Amino acid sequence: MFFFTIRRVVSSVFVLLASSLLVFALCAASFDPLARERIRQPPPTAEYLASRAEALGLNDPFFQRYWDWLSGVVRGDFGTTVNGTEVADQLGGRILVTGRMIVLAIVVAVLLAMVVGVIGAVRQYKPSDYAFTFLAYLLIALPTFWFAAILKEFVAGGVNDLFGKRLLYTIGEQSPGISATGADAWTIWTDRLGHLVLPTLSLALLSFAAWSRFQRSAMLDVLGSDYMRLARAKGLSYRRTVWKHGLRNALIPLTTVVALGVGTLFGGAVITEQVFVWNGMGRYLLQDGIGDGDINVVLGWLLVSAVFVVLFNLIADILYAVLDPRIRLA
Amino acid sequence: MRFSKQSAGLVAVGLISAMALTACGGSDDGGGDSESGATGTGTVVFGESTDFPENLYQFISAGNATSVQNIMGRILPSTYNVAPDFSVAWDENVLASEPTLSTDGGTQVNTYEINPDAVWSDGTPITADDFAFTWNANRSADPADGGCESVLSTNGYANIASVEGSGDGNKTVTVTYAEPYADWQSLFTGMIPAHLMANEDPVAQCATTTAGWPIDQGIVGDISGGPFQLKKENIDVGNQEVTLTPNPEWWGEPAGVASLVVKNIGNDPTTAVQALQNQEIGVIYPQPQLDLVSQIENLEPNVTSDITFGLSFEHLDFNTTDVHLADPLVRQAFGQALDRQEIVDQTVGQFSDDAQVLNNRLYVNNQPEYQDNAPEQYKQADPEGAKALLTQAGYTIGADGIATHPQRGPLNIQIDTTANNPLRETTITVMIPQLKAAGINATFSANPDIFADVDKPRSLVAGGFQAALFAWVSTPFVSSNQSIYYSPDNGLGQNYSRTGTPEIDALLAQMVSQPDPAQAADLANQVDVALWEQLATIPLYQKPTFIAYQSSIQNVEDNASQAGPLWNAEKWTVAE
Repeated sequence: MFFFTIRRVVSSVFVLLASSLLVFALCAASFDPLARERIRQPPPTAEYLASRAEALGLNDPFFQRYWDWLSGVVRGDFGTTVNGTEVADQLGGRILVTGRMIVLAIVVAVLLAMVVGVIGAVRQYKPSDYAFTFLAYLLIALPTFWFAAILKEFVAGGVNDLFGKRLLYTIGEQSPGISATGADAWTIWTDRLGHLVLPTLSLALLSFAAWSRFQRSAMLDVLGSDYMRLARAKGLSYRRTVWKHGLRNALIPLTTVVALGVGTLFGGAVITEQVFVWNGMGRYLLQDGIGDGDINVVLGWLLVSAVFVVLFNLIADILYAVLDPRIRLA
Repeated sequence: MRFSKQSAGLVAVGLISAMALTACGGSDDGGGDSESGATGTGTVVFGESTDFPENLYQFISAGNATSVQNIMGRILPSTYNVAPDFSVAWDENVLASEPTLSTDGGTQVNTYEINPDAVWSDGTPITADDFAFTWNANRSADPADGGCESVLSTNGYANIASVEGSGDGNKTVTVTYAEPYADWQSLFTGMIPAHLMANEDPVAQCATTTAGWPIDQGIVGDISGGPFQLKKENIDVGNQEVTLTPNPEWWGEPAGVASLVVKNIGNDPTTAVQALQNQEIGVIYPQPQLDLVSQIENLEPNVTSDITFGLSFEHLDFNTTDVHLADPLVRQAFGQALDRQEIVDQTVGQFSDDAQVLNNRLYVNNQPEYQDNAPEQYKQADPEGAKALLTQAGYTIGADGIATHPQRGPLNIQIDTTANNPLRETTITVMIPQLKAAGINATFSANPDIFADVDKPRSLVAGGFQAALFAWVSTPFVSSNQSIYYSPDNGLGQNYSRTGTPEIDALLAQMVSQPDPAQAADLANQVDVALWEQLATIPLYQKPTFIAYQSSIQNVEDNASQAGPLWNAEKWTVAE
């Protein structure tokens, strides 16, 4: 297992290198960080533009620019934005913001998927199975941004009207100015919780839908297998066979899907953050990166997301071995 | 569709109710807005739709952003301000009397009397030293001359020969110009504190300028010379919001709110509407879109909104190096073929009945200096007259209705504009049949490179276009127009139509060195008359701006100039 992990980490480094080179090339070819300056009225002088281009390294040959960036990253320096802010300073806080949303969404989605998947399999072709199947396909079909907007419009509005006060919020991680105006820790904590509900739900429900289908079919496979019949023949109760022997084996496919789905969730979070104005990695990519034509921001985002994906694939592989002792990683 | 919304909503309501219940106990509605706080004067949240500032120092590139201006306009002192009606007035808090202008002997001298009560937030008086320092920090981009390369613009400040202080407490400022400057009222805007920033050594001074005020470090010494103050501890980079509090040393009318939060909410219209509806945001100032405006109007009477027409205007640029458009008769035919009233009706007219055809390139309709300079023939569509002009230019109208020239070929004109801009797309779509009726075969082209540099052949700078539709921003200060209409012999500047006349050049030169605002405006209108004759550009319409706010907030008023929507935020109050 140790050597397997080492091998995977080494090969991941090459994947990261190749993807960063590709994205760097795409960004270098299409971004124009000085566009904003050129349309100023009155226009900046040619000398001014030249000195800006020089300061941003736009005149250097492509491979030198890439090398400068890469050697910086190795030293932990992700470069600065066009406006001179350190990218590395931004990444830390933003990973926490996105991470908070994603981790919570995964937990909610996995728990829901397991429950709904198992119920669907155990009660196959019963009304409850049909109802969950319908719900799952409905959620799979919904685009993230639309679902999020629906949640804000109807759920936030509905719940707040119901309780006669604002419990759910539609933008931000906390109410604007709440820290600056000296609210106590408990108020801030509940306020943040109110802000967390809708983004997490929107992300979780969409992932849960697909995952519950995997869980259901895996569970159906397991329920029909010989060892389940054997377990029942040995005299174990139905409930016990399903829990101890069925669910554990049926979790293996879900593990793969969830681990791979983390990458997708990172993508989904880009949209969710945008809609709910969470200043996490997604908004960093869209607003500061692509919006401002900022190559260092886009690559910072890329590296962090890629590391996340690689890490979770690795976790998936290791979990296989934990869940199924027959699988040997070598 | 109906079923899907409901069932998704139903399940979600169930789940949320469960989750909300866990958050219920003890939550005393943490919303930071209109509820009366300890100070009793409340908080207003402004939803900034452009971006979050990265640097608060406005005289460098990193701080050159609308979001920075919105904040710093309430913090740094200025000599003149632009009012919502686009008139320019001296600041009665910062100055004790109206500045004087003298041009005796051809030398421009301005004298400012600073308000004796004017102090920075650390108690240091605002004096002539601050004027001198603001000039010194922006007068030159040449290090050999003691300047600094990272200075955003030296326009105007470069014309000044000296800034001298005198009088009681060094409160009288005499600014002497080496060359007269028309827009002297635009200088000494957002003045910077000499006592915290000035350095004898130009190299060290330049390093200070280049670094500016990075957002995570805040403004030097948390300084303010305006009604509000931004303390470093009130800058929340993670949440992309800053909280302005009243400046305790402010000598004018105190701010009406206890705190003003400026939060970046992004430019998604649905997000802004829902946040306004849920009372999470007090004031928004988004780019107007038709469905946004109607959604906001549905929130009345809880939300008040207002559409005004701003300084940004759309226009057509003809590339006079094009084989067809080099001919003035073709350009005139183009002008006569267009029904600009219909274009306005189909575009900005949808927002408000106040939309008008713009008949001036240097001033927009609601500026006090505006004059309708358009010749009669361009005021309504005249396809027959346009065809006559084309015939005169040697074109013949073919069986397909398209004019063709024996040497130049068929009159095909491609109109370029930015990609993904519905307003501009509609504008060109309305133009195409109008032009067709006059024998001009126009086509729409979304050009992503339109504002790119010379290395992209289809950019405006490189000249690889025939006609282009884009916006310029008018201003009460005329000198920024010079680079747009000056002959290309003086350097291309922003004269993308690539033509000019000695007459226009002479008028522009006089205009930018005329310190008397009334006379400068007169010259600007003369320039526009000459530009109508040349017809290398055609103005179309002003773009609307849109402000919406909770009706509980008083005194909010749009200011579509560079002063921005927070121009009078110190006068805002929140109903208890």
